[in-house]
Parts: sequence; C-alpha cells; structure tokens
Amino acid sequence: MRRVWNWILAVLIGAWLPILLITWWWNASATSENPYFPPLEQIWEQFKLNWFWQYFPIHVVPSLQNLFTGFAIAIVAGIGLGVLVGSSPVATTYVEPIVDFFRAIPGVALVPMFILIFGLDSAMRIASIAFAATMPILIATIEGVRATNSVLLDTAAVFQLPRRRTLWRVRLPNAMPIIFAGLQVGLQIAFIVTIASEYLGSGFGLGAFTLISTDSFLIVDAWTGVLLLGLLGYALSLVFDIVERLSLRWYYGQKKLA
Amino acid sequence: MTTPAIAIRDVKMDYPSPDGVKHVLDGISYDVPEGHFVSIVGPSGVGKTTLLRLLTGLAQPTGGQIDVRGERLTGAPKGLAVVLQDYTRSLMPWLTVAKNIALPLRGQGLSRAERDERIQSSLVEVGLEGSAKAYPWQLSGGMQQRVSIARALAVRPSILVMDEPFASVDAQTRFDLEDLVLKVRDDFHITTIMVTHDIDEATYLSDDVVVLYGKPAKVSDVVTIDLPFPRSQIATRNDHRFAELRTRIYEKVRGIG
Repeated sequence: MRRVWNWILAVLIGAWLPILLITWWWNASATSENPYFPPLEQIWEQFKLNWFWQYFPIHVVPSLQNLFTGFAIAIVAGIGLGVLVGSSPVATTYVEPIVDFFRAIPGVALVPMFILIFGLDSAMRIASIAFAATMPILIATIEGVRATNSVLLDTAAVFQLPRRRTLWRVRLPNAMPIIFAGLQVGLQIAFIVTIASEYLGSGFGLGAFTLISTDSFLIVDAWTGVLLLGLLGYALSLVFDIVERLSLRWYYGQKKLA
Repeated sequence: MTTPAIAIRDVKMDYPSPDGVKHVLDGISYDVPEGHFVSIVGPSGVGKTTLLRLLTGLAQPTGGQIDVRGERLTGAPKGLAVVLQDYTRSLMPWLTVAKNIALPLRGQGLSRAERDERIQSSLVEVGLEGSAKAYPWQLSGGMQQRVSIARALAVRPSILVMDEPFASVDAQTRFDLEDLVLKVRDDFHITTIMVTHDIDEATYLSDDVVVLYGKPAKVSDVVTIDLPFPRSQIATRNDHRFAELRTRIYEKVRGIG
C-alpha cells in the first residue's frame, strides 16, 4: 500500500509541469490565427486522425523497424567488438584512437556517405543508425571490460576459468552497468539518426512525414508528427529504464544497501 | 621420504622499482607436508602476499622454484582453491550464492546433478543451506566469507590457499569462522596454506607456522604447533602451551627472538 502511494506521489511530482505546460499551450493557442502555431485542439484532432491508425503502418512502422534493426546491430557489434578489444591491452591501444575519431563524427554527418554506398533504401538508413549508435556502446564496453577489478580476475585465474569464460562470465557482466550507460546514449543517437536519415530521399517514416508536411504547408500535420516523435522518444527511454532496472537488479540492489 | 604436497625451493622474488630492484623474497625454502595446515605470518609488508601469489601461480618467482606434488609450478596448480580477504570483490555480485559456487564447477565434466549436489553439500558444510538463492551482497560479511569457503570446498580442492581470510570481519564472526575452518580441516584434510597477520589465529588453526622476517624476507622460524585436537576457542587458547607458542612466534615476528 505504502509503495503504491509512493509511486502515485512520484508520478504526480513528475507530471505537474508537463500538465501545466499542456494546459497553458491548449488555452493560449485556442484562438490562434497564426498558421505556424495552430490551436492545440486542432493538432490533437488531426493527431487522432493520422496516428489512430491511418498513417501508422506507412510512417511509424518503417521508422521503428529501422530504429530497432539498426540499434540491434549496434548492440551486437558494439558489445562484441568492445569485449574483444577491451580484454586485450594491445588491441585497446591500437583501436581506441580510431574509435575516438569515428565517435567525433556526428552520426548524422555520415548519412550522405551511406547514401553513396547503399543508395536511398532502408539499408542505408539502418547502416547509418547502426554505425552511429555502435560508437558509444563500443566505447563503454571497452572501458567497462578493461576496468575489471584485479581481485575478480585473480579469482577467475586461480579457479582456472578458461579465458573465454572469464571474458563472458566475469568481465562482461561486471562491465554491464557501464555498458548500459553506453546503450542509453546509443539509443538516443539511433533515434536521432532514424529521423534525420528519413529527411533524404524517403517518402515513408516519421522524419519524411514531418518534412513533407512542412514543405506542403500542412502545418497541423507537421505538428502531429513532432508530437508523436516526442511521445515515442519518451516511451523509448521509459522502456529502456525498465529493461536496465531489470537487467541490473544486482547492481541497484547492491547500491541501495551500500 | 614421501613427496611433500608443496615444495618451496630457494624462492626469490625481485620487483623492478624506481630506485633499482626491490628484493622482496630471498631464498625461501619450506616443504608443506600432505594434509597439513600451515600458516605464514610476518610483519606487515614482509612479502606474505607475494609468496601467496607465487603459490597460486598468479606470479612467477624470479629465482628458485615451487613444486606441487613433484611438478614444477608454472600456472595455477590443479586442484587449487582460494579464499581471499576481499570477499566483496572476489564473489560475483551479479550471481546468486549457488551460482557463485557453480562458476568454477562448470567445464569440469560434472553432470548437473553432481554439480547441484556439490553446491548443496558445500553450503551445508558452511551452514548456509538456506541462502542458496540470495545474492552475496544481501548477506553479512561473515556469511559472504562462508560463501567463499563453500565455493572453495565445492571444487574438492587438494590445496586450499587463504589470504587473510578473516581480516575483514568482526571479532565474534572471526571466532565462528575459525571454528568453521577447523571443522573443514577435520572433515577433508585439505593441504592448506593461510596467510595471516594474526598470530593467535595462526597458532589456533595450524600444524606449522612459518615466520617470514627481514628485508628481503627469509624464513626466520618454523614453529610446530603441538596443541592437541580437537581444539576449542576456550580450552586451547587457555592452554599454557598455546601461550608459549604464540609468545615464540610473536618474538620472531617482531625480530626479537
């Protein structure tokens, strides 16, 4: 019971500002004649028309597909390479500068290059997303795996765990809290690149929808796209938080006691 | 003459340091008989932990050699288990107690049933049969160290190495854990080497106490603990002989004997 109350209280504390802002927006825009800032009520009506569910399959589904495919590739590549590199001091020395260089390139900046390589279909978008999102995951994994404390490694050594088991059973789980920080940044970048990659040569996807709507002076439609992007981004980070809490229960449990 | 479990022969250990070479161990020789419980004591910084790293194969001596059952040691010896002082860092916090104990058992060709049986019996041995599903960090320090001991026992070691195993727990827990070690010793007769700075503890638990002294360190004395078994915290520690032995070791550790 107490937990339920605490939860409700936390939601209320978190929600008062958004509620206030939405109410303000709703009222302030109610009589707006400015074509760029239509009444929120009008946007909301259009939002329901567009996204439940007329445009959902042609604009939301492809964006999410690209996002999840690209992010999944980034997870596998980032963690896989990171474990290999981070477990070898020599590999770290050689690979880290290159990774730092690629990380310094904004993910969006590479989209034109990927268009050259992959053309304009979804392979290009997925590749752009995957590449950009891999970087923070790779860096976090290298760092996390490299920084395994020596007592854990000594323990693994004296119990004669084979190298591979030490890697996957000791160093990788030990690095998970740091890796999750990298995954979170990676997901944000993946989301940005998903939308940005649809600004070029695409008729489908939320980025394309928003861009085409503004170009066609369908301002209300554009607003519904922006609103949906905001909600999707928020939902993604919520889901991410839940997955992280569940995966790192040992980490948060330990921290709570310390 | 039978082969000793561990033969330490003229072992030297030098480290490079900013002001030239640092000599830590200088010609350590000692034979650990099969099934004996040996403690290594000495002043702080004398090189006890260095010697222990050599015995576990985590480091190689710069001179001399260590033979385990007649074979020269180059890596971690077969049948070795360890209990380290820093239990919070030597147990995996993301694994439950049972899975921590299972970790070194995988890849040993045991069936699932055998593995479960080993986990269960080791937990019973250390009195933690109810905590299999807990995470180590949910347990008290003394209980975590019991998990370390259970993990060591589960591999059915022929050599057990303990590095200051009870240095991080409170005094009462310490006595309990010491008695647990006596029970384990009685049940399994594992050849055991324990590094400790606690002379009473070394005297209470051991067959032999090896005193390291000097810079670089040499074996300054080997004291045979001829106290009868079974030992008990009250009777043994009140024994006149206990006082004599601990005084002798104390003097050697302080370099006044």
